[in-house]
Amino acid sequence: MHAFSPFTAVLCAALCAAPWLAQAAPAAVVSTPQVRAELVAHAPEGVTAGKPLWLGLKIEHAPHWHTYWKNPGDSGLPTTLQWTLPAGFAAADIEWPTPGRLPLGPLMNFGYEGTLLLPVVITVPAGFAGAMLDVRLRADWLVCKDVCIPEGGDFDLQVPAQAATAGHSALFASARAAMPQPAPDARATATVEGQHLVVRVAGLPAAWQGKTLGFLPETPGVIQNAAVPQTQWIDGSWTARVPLDPQRSESPTAMPAVLTSEGQTAGLQVQAAVTTAWPAAAAAPAALPSLGDAQVLTPPPASLGLALALVFALAGGLLLNLMPCVFPVLSLKVLSFASKADQRRDLLAGGLAYTAGVVLSFVALAALLLALRAGGEQLGWGFQLQSPAVVATLAALFTLIGLNLAGVFEFGSVLPSSWAAARARHPMVDSFLTGVLAVAVASPCTAPFMGASLGAAVALPTAQALAVFAALGLGMALPYLAASAWPALARLLPRPGVWMAHFKTLMAFPMFATVVWLVWVLGVQVGVDGVAALLGLLVALAFAAWALGSPTLGPRARGGFSAVAVLLMVAALVWAVPTLRHDAVAQGVGGSSNVSEDAWQPWSAERVAQAQAAGQTVFVDFTAAWCVSCQFNKRTTLATAEVKAAFESQRVLLLRADWTRRDAAISAELSRLGRSGVPVYAVYTPGAAGPQLLSEILSVSEVLEALRGPGAPN
Amino acid sequence: MNKLLVTTTVAAALTLATGAALAAATVGQPAPAFTASDTSGKTVSLADFKGKHVVLEWVNPGCPYVVKHYGSANMQGTQKEATAKGVVWLTVNSTATEHGDYKAPAALAQWMQSQKAAPTATLMDADGKVGRAYGARTTPHMYIVNPSGVLVYAGGIDNKPSSNPADVATATNHVKVALNEALAGKPVTQASTRPYGCSVKYATGA
Repeated sequence: MHAFSPFTAVLCAALCAAPWLAQAAPAAVVSTPQVRAELVAHAPEGVTAGKPLWLGLKIEHAPHWHTYWKNPGDSGLPTTLQWTLPAGFAAADIEWPTPGRLPLGPLMNFGYEGTLLLPVVITVPAGFAGAMLDVRLRADWLVCKDVCIPEGGDFDLQVPAQAATAGHSALFASARAAMPQPAPDARATATVEGQHLVVRVAGLPAAWQGKTLGFLPETPGVIQNAAVPQTQWIDGSWTARVPLDPQRSESPTAMPAVLTSEGQTAGLQVQAAVTTAWPAAAAAPAALPSLGDAQVLTPPPASLGLALALVFALAGGLLLNLMPCVFPVLSLKVLSFASKADQRRDLLAGGLAYTAGVVLSFVALAALLLALRAGGEQLGWGFQLQSPAVVATLAALFTLIGLNLAGVFEFGSVLPSSWAAARARHPMVDSFLTGVLAVAVASPCTAPFMGASLGAAVALPTAQALAVFAALGLGMALPYLAASAWPALARLLPRPGVWMAHFKTLMAFPMFATVVWLVWVLGVQVGVDGVAALLGLLVALAFAAWALGSPTLGPRARGGFSAVAVLLMVAALVWAVPTLRHDAVAQGVGGSSNVSEDAWQPWSAERVAQAQAAGQTVFVDFTAAWCVSCQFNKRTTLATAEVKAAFESQRVLLLRADWTRRDAAISAELSRLGRSGVPVYAVYTPGAAGPQLLSEILSVSEVLEALRGPGAPN
Repeated sequence: MNKLLVTTTVAAALTLATGAALAAATVGQPAPAFTASDTSGKTVSLADFKGKHVVLEWVNPGCPYVVKHYGSANMQGTQKEATAKGVVWLTVNSTATEHGDYKAPAALAQWMQSQKAAPTATLMDADGKVGRAYGARTTPHMYIVNPSGVLVYAGGIDNKPSSNPADVATATNHVKVALNEALAGKPVTQASTRPYGCSVKYATGA
């Protein structure tokens, strides 16, 4: 059927050498002498939110021709799909069917022959009401036999929204059947032993026990693809000694892989954490001294193993307690400890409730983040504070807390008396809420390690990602929990006394300082009008709090003032709300406040590429006004004469990526770097392929070292 | 039933069946010595160039990825920049004679000339001995040997694995970077990268 001579192929290899120039009118089918490719859909219940919708590229290969898996092996390139979908629709990654091994002389490739479907799950936005879903796809593939031809095509498809589309159900079903299956009980580790990677997998399903298994790594550039590993079964656990590629280019901390077995159409997915360090690549003797530095500065890879991610998350959570934006809330808790130091059981119960509050809040936030990501929103950590309304609400909250601490009003008289009683009767509920509040405030402060943990969490399956966030929460709650479990720690606090009232009043000032910071953040977001509106709102709020809650006001005065307060609040809200909308952005204010010094210029990926091409070192500061660590680094390390001099003498291009407001390009770049929050500091030295990522609490020596870098300008 | 169950599967035979595995030229180790004929029939040995930096480039004019880098003049530019600094550049073709992409020495020399290529020599390796010794997998696949004969770079020509010549402008040319570092006496920052391209068309059963 697909008879054609090798000559045709060779001829085409020469003539079709520029297929990316070929722009045929889009259709659902693209045919070349090597493949027939078709864009197909599977929507058995129409195109509706919550109902399954799959799109896929069906590739029928001419005999002996093949295209490639996500890890193509020794040569070749994976097929790429770029979707154009209506707003709100989101395409997931390709769900690659289990590939075959394609030996070619001494080389080994991983890919597909015959009929292949590359399916992709599409998320339909809620409320989609169109009659048709218009899909456009740009697909590029490399097809090879004994020669290779890069091909591609533009595809176009209309999927009816109200009718079932199921003409290719069998194809989608068989693709799903060929998809590597998760192995929930499997536990996989990988260790580097000399020139081998030793992979151990326990807990494989019964049907796989004792079988000869194949090992297909998803990460290219690590193992010798053509080598057949030595494998053995010991006590139901499978071990493979896989020879490492002597020209290994990657040093991953996890080796996701697919195991195959004869007689099984679908492979098994395993995620092997690499538990030993990779040996430094052997280098010429001259390389040794500074190669050490290069290793230290190597950024944490995007895909940390789960265990490592959990440890980092726990440590990051612990450090969160020291972050400036958590400290005021910690002070609040110090107060509650001092008043309860003699009630041991209550204290522990409170500690546990607080821990539960913190952990659940983190998990809830993570679930929200993951849900939004799934919805295709280009959001990252800290996104709460990218919304002016949230910033204004937090400023109001902190003003109220501050006023309360300062004694302007009592919570008991503001809240319904039943609430106050509930708080008194249920100290555990109170502790739980304190935990929730702590998280609400801490979330934008990405402490060291948190960035990497979050990056890993986003790449991990949902359940594991939630575990990472839970660990983060646990780490944050630990000091409090420890103090409540060993009251000796709490008893180190001074005894209750008059000083507590003073201390409470004193604590109002950190709260007001926090308000100053939030107002500044809002100023960067919406400009000076928004700041004035918010401050007006805060005055009205303060007045209302005093009128309603001051213990010294008589009933008649309270009634009169309260009526005025309500009117004032309404007026302030009418004034403030329009200026706090996201669209009402005052251009220039945000820009100039963050890129004020002449030396810093706004970031763009193109500028980085241009500078790199020109051999110039680039330092990128991914920052946001609401990120306290960012501002700290900006005013300390990055402002030191030493660092400035180094920037100047090496003619470093200084770029600042301001994430104060939502910015899709910056979100995308952060996720490319394996992070989902700021600060991130990236140094691109000429010659290095990727950037060096510096730690989130910057030190001067670290910056200088990175600039000296492994690939200093020559 | 907690007996020790040992099922050992050593499949060395399979390794043999798939043909001789690639030998392992390793970065940081002495580069494998070789002798081959160039397109004019002259014998060239790696040992001839002791004391100089040597770049090895795997080529196959029938491969679209090679066409990408010659069509955009990227490869020739890199060759000229290197040889102008006293670097020896050896272009190697390991395509087997029975393969459709094979070019006889004269035809290969003519193609190189038509591309205005500027290597020190173009070597014929139809039996794939040199390619296998270096573990060359793709065209192009690039190597750098330092003056003391140590392999200091193995990998791709650049960091944009595509067949689109427009990507050359924005890609980082790994060979230029590595060569400049090596010439300046510095360690090569990225000594191993992923090569990309067509597979080397080795003779089967060799």
